[in-house]
Amino acid sequence: MSANAKSVEAAHASIRALIAKKLKYLVPMTIIFMVGYIGLTVLAAFGKSIMGIKVTGAFNVGYLLIALNYVLSWVLAIVYVRIANNVFDPLAAKAAIDITGMGASR
Amino acid sequence: MSTTLSIFIAILLITLGITYWAAKRTHTTSEFYAADSQLTAAENGFALAGDWCSAAAFLGFTGLTALFGMDGAFYAIGPLVAFCTVLFLIAEPLRNTGKYTLGDVIQSRMKTSTSLLATIVGTVVVNFAYLMPQMAGAGVLVKLLTGISYDWSIILVGISMIVYVGFGGMIATTWVQIVKAALMLVAGAIILVMILMLVRFNPLTLFDNAEAKVGANYMLPGNYLKNPFDQISLGLGYVLGLAGLPHVMTRFYTVPDAKTARRSVVWVMFLAGSFFAGTTLFGIAAATYVGQEVIKAAGGGGNLTLPLLAQFLGGGKGTFGGDLMLGFVAAVAVATILAVVSALTLSTSGAIAHDFYANWMKQGKADPKKEVVIARVAAIAIGLLAMVLGILAQGVNVAVLVILAICVAASANFPVLVLSLFWRRFNTGGVVGGMSFGLISSVALAMIGPAMRGADAVWPLVNPTIVSLPLGFLGCYLGTMLYGRDAENEARFDDFSLQVHTGVVPK
Repeated sequence: MSANAKSVEAAHASIRALIAKKLKYLVPMTIIFMVGYIGLTVLAAFGKSIMGIKVTGAFNVGYLLIALNYVLSWVLAIVYVRIANNVFDPLAAKAAIDITGMGASR
Repeated sequence: MSTTLSIFIAILLITLGITYWAAKRTHTTSEFYAADSQLTAAENGFALAGDWCSAAAFLGFTGLTALFGMDGAFYAIGPLVAFCTVLFLIAEPLRNTGKYTLGDVIQSRMKTSTSLLATIVGTVVVNFAYLMPQMAGAGVLVKLLTGISYDWSIILVGISMIVYVGFGGMIATTWVQIVKAALMLVAGAIILVMILMLVRFNPLTLFDNAEAKVGANYMLPGNYLKNPFDQISLGLGYVLGLAGLPHVMTRFYTVPDAKTARRSVVWVMFLAGSFFAGTTLFGIAAATYVGQEVIKAAGGGGNLTLPLLAQFLGGGKGTFGGDLMLGFVAAVAVATILAVVSALTLSTSGAIAHDFYANWMKQGKADPKKEVVIARVAAIAIGLLAMVLGILAQGVNVAVLVILAICVAASANFPVLVLSLFWRRFNTGGVVGGMSFGLISSVALAMIGPAMRGADAVWPLVNPTIVSLPLGFLGCYLGTMLYGRDAENEARFDDFSLQVHTGVVPK
């Protein structure tokens, strides 16, 4: 019984470490895309003149920011997958090993 | 229009073939609801792209951009950004904690029948609010594109979706989505290359031409969404609401593990994201080369922009190339409607047969064989109901329902799901509070807003998310506090977290 209690304890500790790591990466990343996109809508709503500033030819700041939002989403997706593979997955695997010591379902 | 009809019939035959093949592989609950969780990341990515790019999206965004400029581009990028939310917060935990539905996740966290019932309500309301305008849209579009009457168009769409879902379950729904997504991407790529040829592969020329032809104001935001807060509200609704749509969540159960779920989101972000970026260019090109007057004259509120652009690029009206391109794009639009209504029907049938019948009525002790039969019958009943509602909706303003679907998903489903996954103290009271606050405030504000009442609106915003989303979270908080401490639920949270983040179920 005590061995089981210990492995549960260890698994829960590993999970807490994993959640802390996830928060450390995901909170800033979420803020980045929310600020990027909601910022775009706020600018569209209240900064019409800024959006209309010409960058080159008829292509203006508004469309430039829209294009950057596409790039930003794609970059964040790739960054997330890298972090998940390299940081989150090993921690999750450790927690799973901690708990399978007491007979998990898979 | 006969080109359209023949391409459409070809697509219908292919999808029925798929359904025949899928039906032979669909016997168990897991096969019916989740394609036995055997899809690869690429397959699920294509199917997600199919779910994401509804006809309202791919025809609607192009039309909005053509008629109103930059505001259409804001609509188009929303779904891509929304997938960041899905990728970071939703996809992997859903795969790890649920079996077939959103109800599964809430149930495995709360273990109470009340919270399950609240989730079923959230799922069914969102799905029907989404399904009904799709059916009405199907009637209008199929009629415009093929010449079949509105009622018969809906009956045709309804019967097809009943056949796909009732017989082929998730396997058929998935492959119909994949075929449609592939066709849509091919159509998009062809149109894009033809537009680029017009501007000698310099996209900036497209913007210059648009400004010269349509006017300087066309290049600015605010032509469609006049109230500044509507812009922001729309943004919020999109980024969080699309993450709360049950028929999209269901897709993450079709893959074997969290890692595949993750990779499938990246697939859809590149597939659907590029396509949506394309719709902005298509819209600008249509405004420039087809002309806003012609688009308005064609009817359908701008929804025929893309078919018209395709016709122009193919060589114009009456030419072989023009007819072929028009027919192809129109047929893809119809296939899109079929695929999306099927996914909605399947997801609703899961809420009824799996959540309500098997888990709520029978408390998880239902005979799986009987559950599959009930799921199939439910799919048929939902299909028939959708057909009736679609026919009744002719001429009724259904735009308000699209807004409602997204708004309820953002304000009720999303807060409840996220807090269930990540907040230890969150309890059954919170689920009920969040669902009711989010749902009631969304419905009430949409009903008194401009989408429903036009000029008589009591409430200024078309999209209420900016108010209803905080109210949804407030409902979650108040419900949790009023319900009181639930020690057993809080103690279980560690085990639940383990399952959320690793997929391992502690015994």
